[in-house]
Amino acid sequence: MINGAVQRLLHEFRRALAAPSRNPRMAVVLGRLLGAAFLICFGTGLFSHFLQEPLPFMRFPTRPIFLYQLTQGIHITSGILCFPLIVAKLYSVFPELFQTPPIRGVKHALERASIALFVAASLVEITIGLLNTYQWYALFPFPFRQTHFALSFVIIGSLAIHIGIKLPVITKYWSAKTSYDANGDLIPLEREEDADGQFVPAAGELQPVGGVTGRVLGWIDRTPEPPKPKASRRAFLTTIGVVSAAIVGLTAGQSFKVLDAVNVFGPRKNGVGANALPVNRTAKAAKVLETAVAEGWTLTVTNGSASKVFTRPQLLALEQHEVQLPIACVEGWSQMASWKGPRLKDLVDSVGADAGAIIQATSLEQNSSYAVTKMGPEYARDELTLVALELNGEELDIDHGYPARLIAPGRPGVMQTKWLSSLEVLS
Amino acid sequence: MTAVTRWRYALVTFGIALLGLGGVVLLIQVDPAKYIGIAIWFLGALIIHDGIIAFVVFGIGLLMRRASKKIPFGVLVIVQAALVLGALMTAIVVPEILKKNIGTANPTILPLQYGPNLAIFYGVLAVVTAAAIALYLRLRRPEPVPARVG
Repeated sequence: MINGAVQRLLHEFRRALAAPSRNPRMAVVLGRLLGAAFLICFGTGLFSHFLQEPLPFMRFPTRPIFLYQLTQGIHITSGILCFPLIVAKLYSVFPELFQTPPIRGVKHALERASIALFVAASLVEITIGLLNTYQWYALFPFPFRQTHFALSFVIIGSLAIHIGIKLPVITKYWSAKTSYDANGDLIPLEREEDADGQFVPAAGELQPVGGVTGRVLGWIDRTPEPPKPKASRRAFLTTIGVVSAAIVGLTAGQSFKVLDAVNVFGPRKNGVGANALPVNRTAKAAKVLETAVAEGWTLTVTNGSASKVFTRPQLLALEQHEVQLPIACVEGWSQMASWKGPRLKDLVDSVGADAGAIIQATSLEQNSSYAVTKMGPEYARDELTLVALELNGEELDIDHGYPARLIAPGRPGVMQTKWLSSLEVLS
Repeated sequence: MTAVTRWRYALVTFGIALLGLGGVVLLIQVDPAKYIGIAIWFLGALIIHDGIIAFVVFGIGLLMRRASKKIPFGVLVIVQAALVLGALMTAIVVPEILKKNIGTANPTILPLQYGPNLAIFYGVLAVVTAAAIALYLRLRRPEPVPARVG
């Protein structure tokens, strides 16, 4: 009896949810967009990951100078775009949540489990990504970077499985021509077993239900379906377009200068901060408030047994170069800035560095996994790579790395080591 | 075996391999003591989506469809779009307001006035929605009247 009532309820839920915007063609259209956004996030994410933790053989392009600014801006912006897209995608397949019977066998159980994993992993991934840009770490009972990285494989794996399972539906409804007939009605799949995505409830022998549930169902029964399928579908897609444009438009100014004027919800704002530039880790947080301004600060440059020590006036006495390079954070915000100081290659050449050498930079900062970083020769030999002493025409602020910091083209902000104490040429 | 079937097997196999890789990365990089935290987030996502949002959306959808008997189609569409935009923007901006209130590591993180900006956004959204409805009702062609026989 209860079983029958639940089954009837699920059936009626599905029927009540039947709408022109919820059909397999729409699921394919939105799935393509969401799938592309996932792949873009995955690709740009992997690029950022390997920039920070390169495999030994890896070398990276240093041009265009805005490369990382662009890839990471795209990573974060596509991540935000995933919110409206995933909501729309889930909405388009909504009735599937109420399919009856809920489990039709081992294969079906596995399929539904893989969907549950896919949906949960995707929702968690984009949500922790967003909250990470707000630096709300307290909400994560796990390490963000490692979890975000591991889940990316789970999501792309689940995506491949999902595409594999739905391939007959996807190929059938890939183009609008094979999806709708002359009247604009959906052409159903020919094979019954592939018809999962049709959302047309079977006319089963259903027990009538009484009480409150019965009255709710009766009310659903008397509710008409929307009369204009084509217009409904267009309206749905237009809604998704408008929502996506608004969300991206009002936040992406943190990554793309052209949208800066309408950046009202971005977690970062261009021009805000010391030297007119945002800060990620402050001198106070890095515990360098005393060491960075100490009288006796020097920059030590070593190559095996060769070693040179530079005071700040000595660094300023070297040939100074001014370069325009963006600072681009893994959190997606970026800003162009003007940097001035000696070239890194001039400094390491003064101790006889090899042209292919990797340079290890050590910072004064405490409690950071980025206190010691390595830089490949493609960056170290680049004439735009500086040991910066000035920023935007002023002395480098202590929050931006006073007395000296690295700045190189196309690297994540965390690798642009602040509060330098030593440079070592690795053999 | 057809080409489509071969692709299906290949995709599912590749997917399972990537799932395995994700598991290995998790094992190597994340302390197993933290897995429970990840599991709670997964469960939370499914409960919030399948258990709460799904039913709220179901209810709103039903109300909208009922309303379609009396309210013109286009007006409903415009209202629906405004509701979706308002809800999603709220979901993205409210955490910023909350986190800003708790405090940030430095003043350049979350530097904007998110609460007031969101209020302005709601206002603009309401005005634009009203204007769009007015425009729609003005431009709408009258419904065709069925021809009378006899």
